[in-house]
Amino acid sequence: MTQADLKKKARGIRNMVLDMCVAAGTGHVTSSFSSVEILVSLYHGGILRYDASNPGWEGRDRFILSKGQASPLLYAVLADVGFFPREKLNRFCKADGIFGVHLQNDVPGVEISSGSLGHGLGIAAGLALAAKMDKKSYETIALLGDGECHEGSIWESAMFIGHHRLDNLVAIVDRNRYCVTGCTEDIVSLEPLGKKWESFGWEAATIDGHSFDEIFHTLGAIRSRRGKRPLVVIANTVKGKGVSFMENKYHWHGLAPKGREAKTAKAELTARMEEP
Amino acid sequence: MNTISMRDIFFDAVYSEAKKDRNIIIISADMGAPALDKFRRDLKKQFINVGIAEENMVTVASGLALAGKKVFIYAIMPFVTSRCYEMIKVDLSLMNLPVTVVGVGAGFSYDDSGPTHHSTEDMAIMRTLPNMTVLSPSDIFMTARFAKMACGMAGPSYVRLDREVLPTIYDKDDDFSSGLSRLKSGKDLMIISTGNMVHIALDAAKKLSMHSIACGVIDLYKVKPINSALLLKNIAGIKRVVTLEEHLISGGLGSAIAEVLADNNRMVPLKRLAVPDKYYYAYGGRKNIQTLCRLDAKSVTKEVLDWLGEERKT
Repeated sequence: MTQADLKKKARGIRNMVLDMCVAAGTGHVTSSFSSVEILVSLYHGGILRYDASNPGWEGRDRFILSKGQASPLLYAVLADVGFFPREKLNRFCKADGIFGVHLQNDVPGVEISSGSLGHGLGIAAGLALAAKMDKKSYETIALLGDGECHEGSIWESAMFIGHHRLDNLVAIVDRNRYCVTGCTEDIVSLEPLGKKWESFGWEAATIDGHSFDEIFHTLGAIRSRRGKRPLVVIANTVKGKGVSFMENKYHWHGLAPKGREAKTAKAELTARMEEP
Repeated sequence: MNTISMRDIFFDAVYSEAKKDRNIIIISADMGAPALDKFRRDLKKQFINVGIAEENMVTVASGLALAGKKVFIYAIMPFVTSRCYEMIKVDLSLMNLPVTVVGVGAGFSYDDSGPTHHSTEDMAIMRTLPNMTVLSPSDIFMTARFAKMACGMAGPSYVRLDREVLPTIYDKDDDFSSGLSRLKSGKDLMIISTGNMVHIALDAAKKLSMHSIACGVIDLYKVKPINSALLLKNIAGIKRVVTLEEHLISGGLGSAIAEVLADNNRMVPLKRLAVPDKYYYAYGGRKNIQTLCRLDAKSVTKEVLDWLGEERKT
């Protein structure tokens, strides 16, 4: 896919996520929107190895969505690349649906159940360690929220991964700077975030998490990282990216727009579909 | 006389299985054991020490299990259960993964170490988890068998090991698939117990027989799922039931038995003997704490006699 195609794809995915959440009246729209370019790069951009017709394929890379509240985004992406029919998205949070607000691992293509924060990095460590033990070549990539980095368990796992030099593991922190009730730096400061990871034995890269250029520059060659320290990518993003009135507004956390706001959001995203 | 601890026989048995199956992994949260030294030496690639980081131990175990490993995680009981409980819930129970939580130090095993190291809540919290099997052995032969059983389980399990070296009750080749054993019959009263307290139950039953009370003893070693049908069969026609455990009164074995009785419309008088609703900073050994809790054989006998006396009056 060309960059123009990926951009178009990202806009399409935002539309899908919005439609799902508006129809359901719930879902973490803004948490999903900040990670769109990251997931599109992974799944549409060819970074991850997977087989949508065989979700349990042994050789697949393991993508661990530790920030499980972004489940609408992962579900939309998985449907879009063919893990299950797109119609399932219309049943998000419905009685006859197969998924809801937080991630569940019985959905084709999903590796873990999450929603409780601070779990995914340790699980990723176990998967990466097992790959080393069994001499398997899959990569393990975990996407964390930045607010999630307030969890102590993240740092237990970070220390463990650094110690074991799991070079087959990449953590991406969606640094949208907002958690539930405000800015991370006002609540409990995370900065200097990259330095924290480095001091735990990681290599840290900071990028614009909405720039395909920067994402591919950092993640495009993860398979050639053998012998290096584990990689964390601090992806600076905008929470709610794509809908002007939701961007960087923490009170939109966990909410789907309704009524007039839903229409405005849809109109904005639709208009952007035509952008180059 | 037995000189082997549950911990050592358990890890010895895991070692034997792990030698045949490289997918068996042990993770320790900086805890040692002679049997683990051997494991660490001979099966280096199957042993991980995560340091004093129990939450990470559970999440790493979950990831390993997702990749096809059979994982044992090991620490002092409160730290491998209540400390990382939510990790166990989400990453083992909810995802239904083959990880065995091995806790050492049931009840007041770590006597002088105080309430931080006492484990008097674990049965309550672990048995409430869906998919979880809860095993509470009363001797080393059963413990060794549980290690082997755990290696073949498809879902999560929890093994509640005592730290004290206990006498044996069973034979090496006994079968423990039914979930409970009736060790002694008695039509007046049945004491249902688990773990170390089975030994005290047997002692109390003997003392009660001197008062012409025919007291039976059931060792309920599978606390979840309980084999209710077999349990009810074993207490059919028995006049009274006593539960005995070194665990807080709320939520443990006594509660589990009360649930079975209530759910099966079996309205037999029930007395629950357990740790009162408080913590114990008490020294001078486990027996001393048991005496303070009225869980030693003499106190248990007295409690039962008092209860029977009250029953007779009413």
